[in-house]
Amino acid sequence: MNSEQQRAQLKKIAGLMRNGLKTQTEPFPETEREFAAILDQLRALDPENIEAKLVISGFVDHPYGPDKQRCMECMYYLVHREWCDLPELAVPVDADWWCRLWRI
Amino acid sequence: MANLLWLQGGACSGNTMSFLNAEEPSACDLVTDFGVNVLWHPSLGMELGDNLKKLLRALTSGEIALDIFVFEGTVVNAPDGTGEWNRFAGRPMKDWVADLAKVASFTVAIGDCATWGGIPATAPNPSESQGLQFLKRAHGGFLGKDYKSKAGLPVINIPGCPAHPDWITQIVVAVATGRGGDLTLDEFQRPKTFFTSFTQTGCTRNMHFAYKVSATEFGQRKGCLFYDLGCRGPMTHSPCNRILWNRQSSKTRAGMPCLGCTEPEFPFFELAPGTVFKTQTVMGVPKDMPSGVDKTGYVKLTAAAKAASPRWAEEDIFVV
Repeated sequence: MNSEQQRAQLKKIAGLMRNGLKTQTEPFPETEREFAAILDQLRALDPENIEAKLVISGFVDHPYGPDKQRCMECMYYLVHREWCDLPELAVPVDADWWCRLWRI
Repeated sequence: MANLLWLQGGACSGNTMSFLNAEEPSACDLVTDFGVNVLWHPSLGMELGDNLKKLLRALTSGEIALDIFVFEGTVVNAPDGTGEWNRFAGRPMKDWVADLAKVASFTVAIGDCATWGGIPATAPNPSESQGLQFLKRAHGGFLGKDYKSKAGLPVINIPGCPAHPDWITQIVVAVATGRGGDLTLDEFQRPKTFFTSFTQTGCTRNMHFAYKVSATEFGQRKGCLFYDLGCRGPMTHSPCNRILWNRQSSKTRAGMPCLGCTEPEFPFFELAPGTVFKTQTVMGVPKDMPSGVDKTGYVKLTAAAKAASPRWAEEDIFVV
């Protein structure tokens, strides 16, 4: 994906969330099995089905929870590329977003 | 000349394979350059049957001096404490171990199984396995916590699955050449010279650890294996990235997470499904922090590191 395509996709994702896309922010995967189960759901998707990816992984367009968790501190987030490097997601993201696959 | 006897209990022979691959010094160097007389070893010993029994009896009676007693594998106590599941030279191996440990000048446990029980002692531990002087983190083991060899040292523990070849031969040389008294051991009786630094010390991924860039697949050269793939390098005491394996690499350098095999709890989490090769977390935060780091500090460090992360840290700098 070139930078122009990435910007377009980021804009599309931001638009979906701004327009009220309901995503599964709960339950947060407490165990590795629960985490792996979410990854399994993501792997079963068509990689181009961005909306379903956002729903299953519980994306929100703002920091989340009492600790204000956000992509910026997540280990999968590539700061300069503004990209989620988790292979099952592999989408452009904003530093202030969050999803339930967040890990630090 | 120092007489060395090497026996195997509940073992896979991995430490023997490791020992035979030693280079600095090699197993042959021990004999030719350092005066080690290998009385018997499972892969090298010539005696069989009655001749072996005769040799072992000569050692337990004191007729032949036992300078270094090396044990590989667990002490098997099953069934019901009899040790009959691991018979050797006409009696349970555990009985030989008890008798030989009494007459040995130095007793050396090689590998996780002999040190703390390792994989055989994983719950439910059907072989009733123990390490020589530990069972996992609990001091005691088969010989008891007060055991000391004739030289006045407790069991010298050289853990690992397997132990690195040079850890084994270098300690044997130290003992054989009269420098056993110079060895300083840590709380788990590991020689401090090898087990004070961390596996992470010297890891080629340290800059990715510092900038919080994660590897997401095995073998990937970019990224740190601690964040997602269960690497225990930051909290495991070993010189795996200082004394390289085969003189050229290590698990983490090759893209394989450290499993923490020099620590008493190995295998961690009793090998429960989902715990191997996956960093265990609570609400996204690692359960096991790098040694000496608390959660608050870790979160702060992450925020600062991510904010300061340079562009190159996100790229595979090993490919041009």
